[in-house]
Amino acid sequence: MAPPEDSSQPRLAAGCRWGGDPKPGVEERMVLFPEGAIKLQGTGRQILERCDGQRTFAEIIQELQAQFTVADPAKIRADITQFLEQLRQKRIVDY
Amino acid sequence: MISNPLALIAELTHRCPLHCVYCSNPLELAAVTSELSSAEWIGIFQQSGKLGMLHAHFTGGEPLARPDLTELVAGARAAGLYTNLITSGIGLTESRLQGLVDAGLDHIQISFQDSREGAANWIAGAKAHAHKIDLSRLVRRHKIAFTVNLVIHRQNIDHLEEMISFIEKLAPDRMEIAHTQYYGWALKNRAALLPTREQLEKAVETVSAAEKRLAGQIRIDFVVPDYYARFPKACMGGWGRRLMLINPSGKVLPCHAAEVIPGLTFENVRQQTLESIWLNSESFQRFRGEEWMPEPCRSCDRRTEDFGGCRCQALLLAGDATATDPACSLAPAHHIVESALAEANSSATISQPVSASSFVHLQQSVSELWSYRTNPE
Repeated sequence: MAPPEDSSQPRLAAGCRWGGDPKPGVEERMVLFPEGAIKLQGTGRQILERCDGQRTFAEIIQELQAQFTVADPAKIRADITQFLEQLRQKRIVDY
Repeated sequence: MISNPLALIAELTHRCPLHCVYCSNPLELAAVTSELSSAEWIGIFQQSGKLGMLHAHFTGGEPLARPDLTELVAGARAAGLYTNLITSGIGLTESRLQGLVDAGLDHIQISFQDSREGAANWIAGAKAHAHKIDLSRLVRRHKIAFTVNLVIHRQNIDHLEEMISFIEKLAPDRMEIAHTQYYGWALKNRAALLPTREQLEKAVETVSAAEKRLAGQIRIDFVVPDYYARFPKACMGGWGRRLMLINPSGKVLPCHAAEVIPGLTFENVRQQTLESIWLNSESFQRFRGEEWMPEPCRSCDRRTEDFGGCRCQALLLAGDATATDPACSLAPAHHIVESALAEANSSATISQPVSASSFVHLQQSVSELWSYRTNPE
């Protein structure tokens, strides 16, 4: 399975959606999908909230690199790639 | 402390246009006249959302037999639930599907009985196959999740590869390849359904090759027959731990088959709230946690993973709902499963694979092979 290309626009896969709007002060958000749900917080949530079908993969990486300036940019890229590949395998994300 | 339930299984009706020989419905079906009303179901969804449940699975029977299905889906969505329709597709038209999607349907799961029309209709006891194919094309036009469920067993497992290619062409997001589980009608028909070890091993290889090939495109969930497993399945994710099932007449059960267990009484949602049933019902508490467990479960490291297996299977096979699931290789009653397997693997039993050409012949020669599921009064 191929990793996302810089120009691809990752999005939640068909039938996968956020369970409710973000609530102030609540770190966790839930993504619902057929037969299950995942709780997201921290960077996982930051990545997936940007998978809106508008932003490109390159833009998502840039935004997170700008936000986490202490981390190695190459590591950030590798982590996001791996995260999205795993979610695509589970059919939660498409790109 | 008891955590909240996560999903509701809404058995809307036991009416069904199909008569599958492995139906998981109880042998004693709920009468049409006792079915819950629209308003009663919508009240149940509201309670479910408040209880913290995430998913509502609409099933039956055939949920489309309920003319108010669209209203029910809208009600579940309004209560914050993820909505999943488990269906044969019979009764679904283009406009009805549009209505369901507009009402907020998240996921549709259509079951197929085979890739070959004759064989599929033979299993279902109805001419449904061609319609299901048409319907799958309609579903793909909508942005909802689409799962194709394929039930496999002794009679069709030999052409699993062909069936996987068939499903691939329907382009679902997810493919569920599930062996029949031996309850209800399937237990009655077990001798004709239980595969041989050789058949199963070949199927495992076929599925794992398909998983690799379809990675990122179609997710495959594979359910093996627990008779061949070393350890039992974590039935329902543990009794009274995650799921509540409501039957067509409002009876609240910890699982599909729970009514086979003698001595348990089940509350009705017409008389009590879901919350009070979840917390206080004797039947939900009966096998919750570890107190009830016999040896070898009680001291087994796997007790927090498989919860001792399935209570209904223990009752159906060992005659004792408190026994370790006989599917477990460590169970005192495991010999019961072993003898069913020995029978399945001996050449004396019927194992003609069904093909389109032999369909008519088979239908005549093995009309005594199994019992078709009936319909409620």
